[in-house]
Amino acid sequence: MTHSLHRKGKRSDLENDYIILAMLAANFNNKYEDSRRKLIEIGEILKKYNPINIMSEAAWKMSPVITATFTEIEIVKKIIKEFKEKDFGISIVISGLIIEIEAILSEIGLKTHTVHLSLGTFGKKELLPLEDTLEITTMCGHHCISPTSVSTIVKQVALKKISIDKAIKKLSKPCVCGIFNESRAYKILTSMIKKHTL
Amino acid sequence: MEIKKDICTGCGQCISICPVQAISLLKKKAVINKSLCVECAVCYRDSECPVKAFRLTRLKWPRIIRSPFSNVIATHKITGIPGRGTEEMKTNDVTNRFGFGEIGVSIELGRPGVGTHLRNIELFTIKLSKLAVSFEENSPVTALIIDDQGHIQEEVKDEYVLSAIIEFKVPKEKIDQVLSIIRDVEKEIDTVFSVGIISRIFQSEISSITNLIKKNGFEVRPNAKIIIGLGKL
Repeated sequence: MTHSLHRKGKRSDLENDYIILAMLAANFNNKYEDSRRKLIEIGEILKKYNPINIMSEAAWKMSPVITATFTEIEIVKKIIKEFKEKDFGISIVISGLIIEIEAILSEIGLKTHTVHLSLGTFGKKELLPLEDTLEITTMCGHHCISPTSVSTIVKQVALKKISIDKAIKKLSKPCVCGIFNESRAYKILTSMIKKHTL
Repeated sequence: MEIKKDICTGCGQCISICPVQAISLLKKKAVINKSLCVECAVCYRDSECPVKAFRLTRLKWPRIIRSPFSNVIATHKITGIPGRGTEEMKTNDVTNRFGFGEIGVSIELGRPGVGTHLRNIELFTIKLSKLAVSFEENSPVTALIIDDQGHIQEEVKDEYVLSAIIEFKVPKEKIDQVLSIIRDVEKEIDTVFSVGIISRIFQSEISSITNLIKKNGFEVRPNAKIIIGLGKL
């Protein structure tokens, strides 16, 4: 699943937007007695660092993957250092700005093993919503957030029918993986509401 | 997916929740456009219908194929993984799916959020088969390919899904031919698609792969997914 790869936004928008993913490899390291326990322990560590969003704990017992979203690269560095020390043997993927991730890896004494680069979007781009809507909808890697719900919510907040905090929770709800960055959504929505009311 | 007409009050709050805008009001009742509906079940899970009018229906072939390609919770019978794809590169430090000298490619039809008919898969797979690429075996898309020429099962071609990821790998020397195919298909496809390039990295030299892609006239986004090599067998 390309999931967190194709998040839209300029470089400055993508600072403060990091996803850590831990995954058991099917038919490789998912078959040991302690595989699930280790994955859940990873989830507990992610939770300890107060992510802006995290996959529901109810899913941790069944899902081969756990994901969480953070806004500070220094926190990501602390987490990865702890993973290195604990040596779980489970694959860890960081999504975010290449330059920042490589910098913290170097500081910790780790290296990029494999990279998944995004070349962007092609084809009938006239079918796409506006860029700021896309910046919100692409924060759900499975595209469960509708562009129409974004524009509806902008109007509702502008008309003071709903608070922006409640609006963000509403937008975030369909994203079951916990990679919707509510802090980033707040900034984008605030800007969209200002444009709407002008 | 269906909306029970006798229960629906026509409040309309479900209309905006559908990622592909398949719900509308008709004669004061919410209705689902079956050809647009990708069976993602977001409406069922998240519309908060005050009268619980949404029903999951038992799907038959070929419509049932929409669910694993669209519903984040549905697990594909081949991959055993929820969320429409495979592990791709996420466990490469364990699986070594992509080795040195190889480049993995992910072409996700319909992303971001437009959707695609499955027939669009052939626009790529027929051309890619001529290059003798290695399609990912455990992929739901590869499971639809029926011959060495890259044709897919006829009966699924009209099925509309949220996205379908074509996953394959090639020797590094062939990447320019793959990128050329992307430019060709871009002109004729009726939807959008997003492209990812996977590379095993030697001594942290991401720049060697980004330079190769840029040499072929493509931009590389500043954000990526990076495996950090902590996984073990």
